[in-house]
Amino acid sequence: MYNLQLTPEQIEFRDAVRDFVNREVRPAAIDPKRLEPFEKPLMTGFLDQLAQMGLRGLALPEEAGGAGADLLTSCVLLEEIAAGDVDLAMVLGETALLARAVHDAMSDGQRQRWLPKFEANDRYHLSLIARDDDAERGWSYHQAMPAAADIPGTPEVVAERDGNGWVISGLAPFVANAPVAGLFIVQARIADAPGTVTVLIGNDAQGLSIDLELPAFGGGGERARWHHGAVAAVTLNSCRVADDDVLAADAVRRMLQSGLPARRTVQTAAVNIGVARAAYEAAVDYAKMRWQGGRHIVEHQAIGMKLADVAIQLEAARGLTWKAAWVTDHPEAISGRSVNDLPWAVVARTFTAQSLHRATLEAAECFGAMGVMRDMPLQKYVHDTLVLQHAVDCDLAAPLVVAETVAGYSR
Amino acid sequence: MDFSLNEEQRGWQMEARRFAEEEIRPISLARDQIADPKATFDWEIIKKGSQLGFRTLAVPREWGGHEADFVTQALVMAELARGDSSVSKTFSQCWKWSHLIAASCTKDQKERFLKPFIEDDTFVLGKGGTEANAGSDNRMPPENDPKAGWKLRAERRGDEWILNGTKMFIANGSVAKLFFVDARTNPDANIREGSTMFMIPRDTPGFRIGKVFNKRGWRFYQNGELIFEDARVPHANVVGEVNGGVKARATDKSEFGDIELAANALGICDDAVGMAMHFARNYKRAGKLVIDHQLVQLKLNEMYMLTEALRSFVLRTAWERDRKLPDLGNNVLVMNYSQEVVQRVTRANMEIHGPEGCTMHARVDKLVRDAMVWTHLAGDTVQRVKVVKRLPLTTGG
Repeated sequence: MYNLQLTPEQIEFRDAVRDFVNREVRPAAIDPKRLEPFEKPLMTGFLDQLAQMGLRGLALPEEAGGAGADLLTSCVLLEEIAAGDVDLAMVLGETALLARAVHDAMSDGQRQRWLPKFEANDRYHLSLIARDDDAERGWSYHQAMPAAADIPGTPEVVAERDGNGWVISGLAPFVANAPVAGLFIVQARIADAPGTVTVLIGNDAQGLSIDLELPAFGGGGERARWHHGAVAAVTLNSCRVADDDVLAADAVRRMLQSGLPARRTVQTAAVNIGVARAAYEAAVDYAKMRWQGGRHIVEHQAIGMKLADVAIQLEAARGLTWKAAWVTDHPEAISGRSVNDLPWAVVARTFTAQSLHRATLEAAECFGAMGVMRDMPLQKYVHDTLVLQHAVDCDLAAPLVVAETVAGYSR
Repeated sequence: MDFSLNEEQRGWQMEARRFAEEEIRPISLARDQIADPKATFDWEIIKKGSQLGFRTLAVPREWGGHEADFVTQALVMAELARGDSSVSKTFSQCWKWSHLIAASCTKDQKERFLKPFIEDDTFVLGKGGTEANAGSDNRMPPENDPKAGWKLRAERRGDEWILNGTKMFIANGSVAKLFFVDARTNPDANIREGSTMFMIPRDTPGFRIGKVFNKRGWRFYQNGELIFEDARVPHANVVGEVNGGVKARATDKSEFGDIELAANALGICDDAVGMAMHFARNYKRAGKLVIDHQLVQLKLNEMYMLTEALRSFVLRTAWERDRKLPDLGNNVLVMNYSQEVVQRVTRANMEIHGPEGCTMHARVDKLVRDAMVWTHLAGDTVQRVKVVKRLPLTTGG
């Protein structure tokens, strides 16, 4: 059976978000006063309003006060948010993803202590500090991955045993959601024994500090900020954590290994689609309005072909991303031989990133010189899709994970 | 066939390379990162470059310039662009219009404008055609709509012309001392027959500069709004004939503007290739040097291949212009081609660098942003469609 019909609930939720984004978020996001400066502070007012609509706890089970949404539903909604503002979508996507994962990993006691705080405050987001052992993916094709500690510059967060708890210290330089996080889920290496411990640390914990966000151009101008959402460095200076706030080791393994990175990757593809869709919609509107060469420019073959190409790329990307979302939630689709056994998250993400950056450039081209002006949104969409093209899960080597799967090779 | 450069060409190339490395490159990133588009410009670099001859490179010797040939101009633009593409463009924009003065202006106009241009290190040139509702229409006016194209109006009153209207995105807009401006002098005729080109000194009464546009790339390069409110221009400033503006522009057969963008792109590509090679040889990823990964080797190969192909096309086209060979479209084709190449090569440089944590090398990012400008300048569909008329008739039936 193959069914592309969304449920009435999914459509209703999508339309509510789309309506809010079109009415409120997008006009503010593309206001020239916001577009022109290099710095674009997170629009926290909208972040809170979207949280009130249920998007922060989107994937959290219903019994925990969430919407219990599957990954496909999350993708549908994140596309809508990203069509208004990419940063809002990245922050909410990360919190929604972690809310479900950490809820599953918590003990009953931990849920009782932390869940009410999450529910009570719309600005309470979640942030994960953990080592991704697979961070360099395809680059280590044909050779063993070095341990994370062997990679120069890899920060270490270390836990030392202290009575009936742990003392956590270290620096994590780039932590998603850190500026808005109420709760940090921190994986730390145990100081004098093999293994790690994963703990829950509130943003009010003693010894925890959050640096200012990276400026648009930092390091004496040598570095350009290259991320979406809200990111900051987190310093843990002898942060004391009681055993009550340690997550069970097997629960952590399940959380980190049962598709959390893959889910994030699929969600990011959906965000990418939202950005490119905003560019596409702008180009269609403009092509119908702009008059050159004795007609509306949409009537020139050259422009018509561009819009057609962008539309085709968008649909292809959405098709792959929805499929990846579905398969991630339904592994039986692979085991039952309905769908090929591929790392679908990577398939969707790499195709989406590459094709939609090109598509966004094509949309910008419809605007002529106005496509590169900073008071117009097109150049921002181009930049946003470029940033999305260069992330760890989507770099030059990332698709090699697909080669490993099809060849049955494992590094 | 002989691909060697003569001594003069080599000399200019070396001088431009040294200036780019020692003077332009050190200020390039800092200028790019100034948020206010009016504040990115740096007169010191213009003065220094002017004193070395880069502002007046193309002006004939009899008027005090260097009369460098097109091959030299292409070499210099590429070298300067390697330091900063938009600084290179600021210089070459002056050559572009000095070609026009030399080809189309009267002796009196040359005395009044070319001489001060030569003598003043801060005398920069610009040209205004584009308006809010006249972009593609200026370059490819539709047959069925004679009113299409620029609307800026010029009406004669005695020995003067009164100009009213607004130009947009005009290069060197906020810094030029002299502009060539296209205006309608017969609103009922199409722009080929109904417009006149005027020389507009910066201090023309009734003429002022409006906003400076804030761009994603080429941030040093100024694009401004030119506002004319009953601006009074003497008849003696008409270039060519009244209602002959388009013809006057066409007297400059150099097609310099097309080679210009291609040569500039070549400089960006050289910069990107150098950066990628340096990074690949000095940084490690997954336990080995970046250059030891096959993926990177293939990318570097692609970058070099495209850059060398562009270099050959640029220099061949410049050489053809120097020999005044029939123009069979190469001027435009090389410009169109440079868009593909500069965008692919700068993106490949970005892929090799990859993200480091949540940051990207700022110059790698800048090259990609600068390269985006080519989409609408050098490779838009109007340019691509127009060239077809010039392609050799000997090909095909």
